[in-house]
Amino acid sequence: MTQVTRSSRWRVWHRWLSLIFGVQMVLWSISGAYMVFFDLDYIHGDHLVQEITQPIPASTSVATIGEVLNAHPHTQSVTLESLWYDGRQQAVYKLTGHNGEQLINATTLAPISFDEADIEALATRYYALPEPKVESVVYLTDNPPTELNPALLPIWQVNFDDFGSTSLYLSESTGEMLVKRHTFWRGFDIFWMIHIMDYDERVDIETWWLQAFIFGTFILMITGAVLLVYTISFKRKPKGGAA
Amino acid sequence: MRFMQWLHRWVSLILIIQVVLWLISATVFSIMGHHGMSGHQYMRHIHPEMLADESPQWSIQQVRATHPQADTILLTNVLGHPQYQVNVSGKWLYLDGHTGQPWQTDVNLAQALALASYDGPGQIAEVEQVTGAAEVVDWSAAGYRVQFADDLNTRVYVDAASGQIVEHRNTPWTIADWAFRLHFMDYSGERSFNHLLIWSAGLFALWFSLSGLMLLIRNISQGDFNPRRKPTWLEQLQRDEKPIASSCGGGGTCGLCKVTFTNNDVPTPTAAEKVMLSEAELTAGLRLACQHKVQAKDAVELANENVASHLLTLQNKRDLTPSIAELTFTSASRLDYQAGQFLQFKIPHESTVLERHYSLATVPNADNELVFTVRHMPAPKSGVPAGVGSSFLCRLQPGEHVEAIGPFGDFLLTKASSRQQVFIGGGAGIAPLRALVQAEQQSTTPRPAMFFYGARNSAELCYTEELEQNPHVTYVPVLSAVSEKERWTGQTGFVHEVAEAWLREQDAQQVDVYVCGPPLMLEATMKMLAELGVPRDHIKFDDFGI
Ligand SMILES: Cc1cc2nc3c(=O)[nH]c(=O)nc-3n(C[C@H](O)[C@H](O)[C@H](O)COP(=O)(O)OP(=O)(O)OC[C@H]3O[C@@H](n4cnc5c(N)ncnc54)[C@H](O)[C@@H]3O)c2cc1C
Ligand code: FES
Repeated sequence: MTQVTRSSRWRVWHRWLSLIFGVQMVLWSISGAYMVFFDLDYIHGDHLVQEITQPIPASTSVATIGEVLNAHPHTQSVTLESLWYDGRQQAVYKLTGHNGEQLINATTLAPISFDEADIEALATRYYALPEPKVESVVYLTDNPPTELNPALLPIWQVNFDDFGSTSLYLSESTGEMLVKRHTFWRGFDIFWMIHIMDYDERVDIETWWLQAFIFGTFILMITGAVLLVYTISFKRKPKGGAA
Repeated sequence: MRFMQWLHRWVSLILIIQVVLWLISATVFSIMGHHGMSGHQYMRHIHPEMLADESPQWSIQQVRATHPQADTILLTNVLGHPQYQVNVSGKWLYLDGHTGQPWQTDVNLAQALALASYDGPGQIAEVEQVTGAAEVVDWSAAGYRVQFADDLNTRVYVDAASGQIVEHRNTPWTIADWAFRLHFMDYSGERSFNHLLIWSAGLFALWFSLSGLMLLIRNISQGDFNPRRKPTWLEQLQRDEKPIASSCGGGGTCGLCKVTFTNNDVPTPTAAEKVMLSEAELTAGLRLACQHKVQAKDAVELANENVASHLLTLQNKRDLTPSIAELTFTSASRLDYQAGQFLQFKIPHESTVLERHYSLATVPNADNELVFTVRHMPAPKSGVPAGVGSSFLCRLQPGEHVEAIGPFGDFLLTKASSRQQVFIGGGAGIAPLRALVQAEQQSTTPRPAMFFYGARNSAELCYTEELEQNPHVTYVPVLSAVSEKERWTGQTGFVHEVAEAWLREQDAQQVDVYVCGPPLMLEATMKMLAELGVPRDHIKFDDFGI
């Protein structure tokens, strides 16, 4: 009854590969599970905000397009809507041109700018959950938090004291709510980072190390599959029995 | 851990296909990148013209009048032609900026739009009127599909009601789309990753990788990753579920893991082996499996060939002494053993199975009854549990079962020498010694035998009558803590001292000695035998560790 080492090479490979790639596999499944289990709309924070424009009463008269274009000739599009500022809902024109966006009063054509109180009032209107509690209003010009695309600077950040530590980001020129963030989005972002292994910008899915890990995990799976064939196809011997 | 392994295996069987699909699709994503997958390789943004170039003839006041409920009214232009976009309670309407009528997109405009949004090398090959498109999931309105003849097979979808470019699609996009289907397990093309199928896959994957992680941690803690640490033969044989006994867990102290190396250069014996094995055994290639790492060139043979697993049923139980119980089992399958051997019992304990060894206390008998003597191991002090294996066996009721593997051991009678046989024992060591004495008695020419057995007082003696009546044995019980009222007339003191006194009168070369008993007794006896010059090859012992 001579024994030979049956210590399979495959198992050795499977173990060593798992030491390197298996750990990432765990991270992939944890981050994947998070992203899968939380509804994407919820992650996006769709439940946090609502529409705030309202039809403009027929009695409000607004300037003609001709008058608008006279004052602002380099305009590619004009939007007429209503917005809350200075303590009431007012008709505004939003102008888009090569130089970005600009807001003017639709009746007087006077330019509109927002101070902290305006922004807070607007954010509270955007906020869809009951009892908005604004914790802070911050005007960001540089050093944006990681959750914000730096191209959007300067921007108003309005932080709410709520379950998800909601932050709404409002355009400084139009008061429009551009970005919404809450804890579960932030969690998603971190797991996304872990999932794509771009720990820096969290966007690059083409890094060589991601590709290396995918390849390594692939080999790990192949060694695992071979072991599976070994262990499942051979009938299990009775425990400890030699017969 | 067996459960973990089982779980890891079966979950992986179910999951491995999906994991491979995940990896393949991830490779596609990673190689193509966001831009490569977007279908926008040849797409360019259409900037509206300046409104002042062509003012609308239909005024915004007229739009307000016809759509008083509008939330938003947007004036822009489509390739220079003014257009109103009106939002009424979330729905967008598109009006011609000159007439106020619903916007119209004809084939020519669609072509012009498609061209304006395209900066690739191709020309328009075909324009087709469509209603929605399978490859544009959220779009089901009327419009155009403008096909370009280029290397990427670009097609541009134009929405008729708004005159807007809906999407660019091309071959890389289609490949990426399949990768998304595979990755998200959403074969509807909607690229949703919040649905039942992927939830279950996600859970499985979590189980799979976490059970793998646990196994990995076990491997690390076992030192499997230390490149210098190969498994010992004992570990290897245990992993392969080969019949090999060990009661010291590979410490080189129990001597149960004996194997024979059959290759030419047998490893040099370690210090532990020089203690546990006799010279003859060492020259015969016997080694302790726990002392040597597996080497590719090694070939190893197990000592016990007819080892098998047996299901034992308790038939009878009686107390021999206050601390030793005699248990009689029968086995469902035939068990051939030799006197002096033992079985490895599988003791269920909490969620695991422990291994404990018990020696057979008789020679094999016709009824295939298996007799053991088990010393009950009480807790040495309060707060410490009593012995697990002995308690389990002593609690066992007739009719109940226990699994045991064996037989193991080479605590056997010497062969073919006419030397004086000497048995020295104490405590639970009675079991193998009694079996050996019985075997000697049954042999054709029984050799003369002495049996020194140590106990503290006369209540601890067992099988006295049987041993005294055996014509071939001189039985010498020795008591170490005898009390007055016992009226003991026999030997007193330590059993090895009494044996020593007798052995001094003998020719040390002409005795075979068998020793089994508590560790201290065993140690003292071995020392005494060495001093008397009894050849190591003539000494056999069994270390119970108790
Ligand atoms: C080859 C061989 C043959 C054998 N033959 C026999 C035989 O025929 N008969 C026999 O009775 N035995 C025999 N033994 C011994 C037997 O295998 C067991 O070792 C013995 O029964 C004790 O096991 P247990 O599970 O009862 O005690 P264990 O659970 O292993 O505990 C051992 C002792 O330690 C104490 N203890 C437990 N936990 C602690 C703690 N935390 N701190 C301090 N102390 C603690 C226990 O109370 C007990 O006294 C043999 C052993 C070998 C190797
Ligand atoms: S396992 Fe105890 S000596 Fe090898």
